[in-house]
Amino acid sequence: MHGFSETGRSFETGRAKVAPGTPPIVYLKGIAKYFPGVIANQDVDIEVMPGEIHALLGENGAGKSTLMNILTGIYQPDAGEIIIDGYAKIFASPVDAIAAGIGMVHQHFKLVKAFSVAENIHLGWAETPKRISAQALEARTAELAAALNLAVRPEARVGDLSTGEQQRVEILRVLARNARVLILDEPTAVLTPAEARELFRALREFVSRGNAVIFISHKLDEVLEISDRITVLRGGRRVTTEATADCNQAMLANLMVGHEIVLSDLRARKAEAAPISAEPVLSLREVTVRDDFGNVALNKVSLDIHAGEILGIAGVAGNGQKELSEVLTGMKKPLSGKILVDGRDFSAAGGAEIARSGIGHIPEDRLKSGLAPALSITDNTVIREYKKPPVSIGSWFRPGAATALAQSIAAAAAVTVPDFSMPVRNLSGGNQQRLVARREMRIATKVLIAAYPSRGLDVGAINTMMRYFVELRDQGVGVILISEELEELLNLSDRIAVMFHGEIMGVLDTAESAIEDIGLMMGGRPAGALAQTSREITS
Amino acid sequence: MIDLRNLSRRGFLNLGVAAGAGLMMPGGLIRPALAAAKPLAPVAEKDAVIAFGHTGPVTDEGWTWSHDQGMKAVQQAFPKLKTIFVESIPYSADASRTFRQFVSEGANMVFATSNYGDFLYDVAKRSPNVAFFECDGRHPMDNLGTYYVAHWYPTYVTGIAAGLMSKTGKLGYVASFPVPSVYSGTNAFLMGARSVNPNATLQAIAINSWFDPQAATQAGTALLDNGCDLLFGIMDEAGYLQVAEKRGAKAVMWNTDIRRYGPKGYISSIVVDFKKFYVEQVRQRLAGTWVPSTPILAMGAGVDRDAWGETVPEEVRKQADAARDKILGGWSPFTGEIKDSKGAVRVAAGKTMTEEELYNWNWSIEGVKGL
Amino acid sequence: MSGRIQRLPSAHPTVALLARAAAILLALLTAGVILAANGADPLKLVAQVVKSTFGSRFGLEDVGLLVTPLILTGLSVAVGLRIGAWNIGAEGQFYAGAFAATGVALFVPAPDFVLLPLAFVAGGLGGMAWILVPTLARAYADVSELITTLLLNFVAVLLVYYVSTGPWLDPDGHALATTARLPCELPEFWGAVHWGFPLAVLLTVLVAAGLSFTRWGYEVRVSGSNPQAARYAGMPFRRHLILVMLLSGAIAGIAGMFEVVGTVHRLQGGISNNFGYLGIMVAVLARGSALGVLAGAALMGIILNSGIILQTQGLNVSTVLAITGLILFFTAIGDELSHYRFVRNETASV
Repeated sequence: MHGFSETGRSFETGRAKVAPGTPPIVYLKGIAKYFPGVIANQDVDIEVMPGEIHALLGENGAGKSTLMNILTGIYQPDAGEIIIDGYAKIFASPVDAIAAGIGMVHQHFKLVKAFSVAENIHLGWAETPKRISAQALEARTAELAAALNLAVRPEARVGDLSTGEQQRVEILRVLARNARVLILDEPTAVLTPAEARELFRALREFVSRGNAVIFISHKLDEVLEISDRITVLRGGRRVTTEATADCNQAMLANLMVGHEIVLSDLRARKAEAAPISAEPVLSLREVTVRDDFGNVALNKVSLDIHAGEILGIAGVAGNGQKELSEVLTGMKKPLSGKILVDGRDFSAAGGAEIARSGIGHIPEDRLKSGLAPALSITDNTVIREYKKPPVSIGSWFRPGAATALAQSIAAAAAVTVPDFSMPVRNLSGGNQQRLVARREMRIATKVLIAAYPSRGLDVGAINTMMRYFVELRDQGVGVILISEELEELLNLSDRIAVMFHGEIMGVLDTAESAIEDIGLMMGGRPAGALAQTSREITS
Repeated sequence: MIDLRNLSRRGFLNLGVAAGAGLMMPGGLIRPALAAAKPLAPVAEKDAVIAFGHTGPVTDEGWTWSHDQGMKAVQQAFPKLKTIFVESIPYSADASRTFRQFVSEGANMVFATSNYGDFLYDVAKRSPNVAFFECDGRHPMDNLGTYYVAHWYPTYVTGIAAGLMSKTGKLGYVASFPVPSVYSGTNAFLMGARSVNPNATLQAIAINSWFDPQAATQAGTALLDNGCDLLFGIMDEAGYLQVAEKRGAKAVMWNTDIRRYGPKGYISSIVVDFKKFYVEQVRQRLAGTWVPSTPILAMGAGVDRDAWGETVPEEVRKQADAARDKILGGWSPFTGEIKDSKGAVRVAAGKTMTEEELYNWNWSIEGVKGL
Repeated sequence: MSGRIQRLPSAHPTVALLARAAAILLALLTAGVILAANGADPLKLVAQVVKSTFGSRFGLEDVGLLVTPLILTGLSVAVGLRIGAWNIGAEGQFYAGAFAATGVALFVPAPDFVLLPLAFVAGGLGGMAWILVPTLARAYADVSELITTLLLNFVAVLLVYYVSTGPWLDPDGHALATTARLPCELPEFWGAVHWGFPLAVLLTVLVAAGLSFTRWGYEVRVSGSNPQAARYAGMPFRRHLILVMLLSGAIAGIAGMFEVVGTVHRLQGGISNNFGYLGIMVAVLARGSALGVLAGAALMGIILNSGIILQTQGLNVSTVLAITGLILFFTAIGDELSHYRFVRNETASV
């Protein structure tokens, strides 16, 4: 039996009593993991007791995901030990970790997109019968889903599902395997506030049976609400582990970033800033769009964006935001309805034409659509201007001129690039996003559409993004900011449109709206219904 | 039996005279003489390099194996010279590269044991001091001779046995390509069979290879499935014999005695033996007397039927061997009237096909399908 | 001082090149040890290979003849990869090109200076025709070109076997199942090496330049690397896909035309010598770069030619194939290893 150092004292959680001497359900001891140019983890010690919800807090890149990948057998540590119930274990693969009762729901889902939900649930599972029909698999899945109260469509192909639905499949898959330790990586990012509360209730119920939850997040309020203890990681190392009762937001924020952060209201504008135009610069008129699978993803959406304003689009991911940004940027053609730019009809215009008219686009998943990861930084930074001199003269492409343009964009983005012929995937996520943002800002003379621009970025990079948007707004450019971070939207937007099931539930003036109202609209309540129901909700 | 010395150019001319006098010997060498070529200079045995290029692997227990035995006989007869060989040479520009490589390694004599056509001629033209011999070739040059075996005679003999033993009268043939050695094989076989069963027919399947056990096995199976009960072919291995054995059918094979792969199904084989021929040609090359010739080794002098298989009845053996004796005595079964597969008379009644015509046979007789 | 090994997302070009060289040396060394263990003298064999390949005009001409189709089939596959398409059908397009060129050469009565360019165009069109259906199926129905191009290879081989042993069979070729000798041939460039060789190099340089220095090439690069990004930037992905795949087929067809009109002079089954499939290896060795194809084809040509030399030295085909396989195997390992580097812990930072 290992001696449990200072943090190994017995303690009481709100839900289950732990007898003195009970070994931690998970004890990570001196874990280290290295990646190219990065110390992902070093000297990390964490104990997770039975009955505990243990929060893992840290900025992006603090090493949370890596640490959990080690605990789940996806990575092997370069140093340190994993001790489960007092016994040292070596997880050669995720199968070993699952066998030890450790299950994880990843931020980036580990699902086979080409397989159905039922197949994904049963994939690599010892309890899956050797021979079974697709129908039987689906029936088993439906049963499991009903038992665990998670609504999924067993026959659907995972690739066709929204992000939120995919998360439900992930959770179902983990719970089906009798996990005793459930690891959740940013689980609420794709949930409405109500759905999040539902999840929290389920988690508390789960740990009350002597199980444990490791809850990864960088949302302080959430962590304070749900967890028993909090471990803060910074730069791959453990900063501290504290009982949640002894913590508050300011202190945790400080521990996380190493300095005070100020959530500032960026809506205030300078005197010399361009005013919001009277006429909309970009409008949607009853636009209907089908998604790649033929389902109606946008249903008669009408929306106006004015020059010099930031319009926030709130909503749970998968409610039509992707299609909205695609139809606005010409990547998708509307089934019906009109898209107007400065009053001119652009409904039939393609991506290149829309971009030429002065609309920039920071796409939802930059590696998937905004960049060609294997191509050079130069090739990637000139993708919006390769048709124009100096990069092209006639049909000739000039690599030298392209590199010069790439250098100026990188300079504006404050990204240091040692070699512009290096594949862009070698850059960090933050630097990629900065380059994409700067590239798009150069062409966004009328409107910039930014879909989840802060996703996967750390606080520093997010602040940079926000400053960029304010800069554009003050120049008189309209900005559409699609985000799942309500605080971000409230800080930045002049107006907020809330999407639900492919429709706009309402457009609110930010100054007069409360976070709870937006949350309710995200759950499908139209704006008009808010007044009557606000009382019962807040009680 | 023809004395091997008769296969030399001089002997060939003598025979030609004999044939002209109406005393033609079946399987003799009755191909036109070449324009007088000067013999190549003699080579000391210890300096000589003799090269063999094969179409299949020397381990095929068939055609290439037989030629490899010939090479070993050469090595035994002239222990000081050097032999080199390359097996499985494709019919592509790689063949030229291989023959060129023989030359650049100092080969004095190159035997191509299959028809490589232009791939060989291109090299021969550029190497006038090297003697070339092309098996199954048809374009002799000043430094390139051709040689082959009169396999159509033993094939006719085994065809008689086939005609007597086939119950359905439907014979199957696993062919390589639609080339003369295949036409003469299918035609001679069916003519032998029809001499005892006028209703016999022959179905051929070409598999585009001389050595492809898998394809040969598939072709054999397909032929049996189509009602054939006796298989023949021109494969360098035993694939279709094994199929016949398994299915209770019979088979006539090529090249060597391979009855152990199907003792019950084995009728006989067209066996070839190039040992004496190769030793003699190399001897002439070393002595400085070699000039290109175009021999076709006669039945009994390089090609013959193999000993009969265990299931071949005595009566069948007798009847077939009687024809063999007649052929050895000067009779030719390839005498008109012979019709082609479209019914046109190609050889008039009473007219006997010459060896040249038999060697270059490129049409199917009536009753042959699939070529 | 402690350190560790880390994997980089992309290898440094110099490191990759060194890894290649080390891999080839290591493969030869391994082969040498095995040969020595079996009683052969590896040094003598190496000396013979070097002498026969580079020490004689015959050898160099042979390599030149071998490299010509390899450059083109390698280029064909490499070009396809640029748009993200795996053209496994270079073999079939090679046959189709050879077939079309032979048809023109045999049946169009015209002087050489008309016939040769005509056969060249026919070769390209033949290759293009052979990839047309897989191209359209990929572009409009998202059918994997991997399967469709592969399957059409067998059709092309059988087609050529059919015409060369049937309707186009040489009336007096007799034994070999081939067409008649073509009335025209590519003029010789250097010894047995015909003009196909410099033309193949020129074509490669032109394609490489087109990909690097034209707007079209840039769009193809982006489209091939990430079709989503192409859609995002408003590039006509489908048009580029169709065009580049047809180009890929045409190049393989031209390889077939050069082989039949320049080297073999008769159409026959087996004429491709597997050049189409070897082209895949050339493209992989070239790491998809158009200019790298020249180096990849040269290496492949030398390996294949060495194989023939080794066979005349008494090694059998399987041994030679095993050595070829070893080289490619070690190259693949070397390529992967060149992604790794040793780093001291102290120097690493976030």
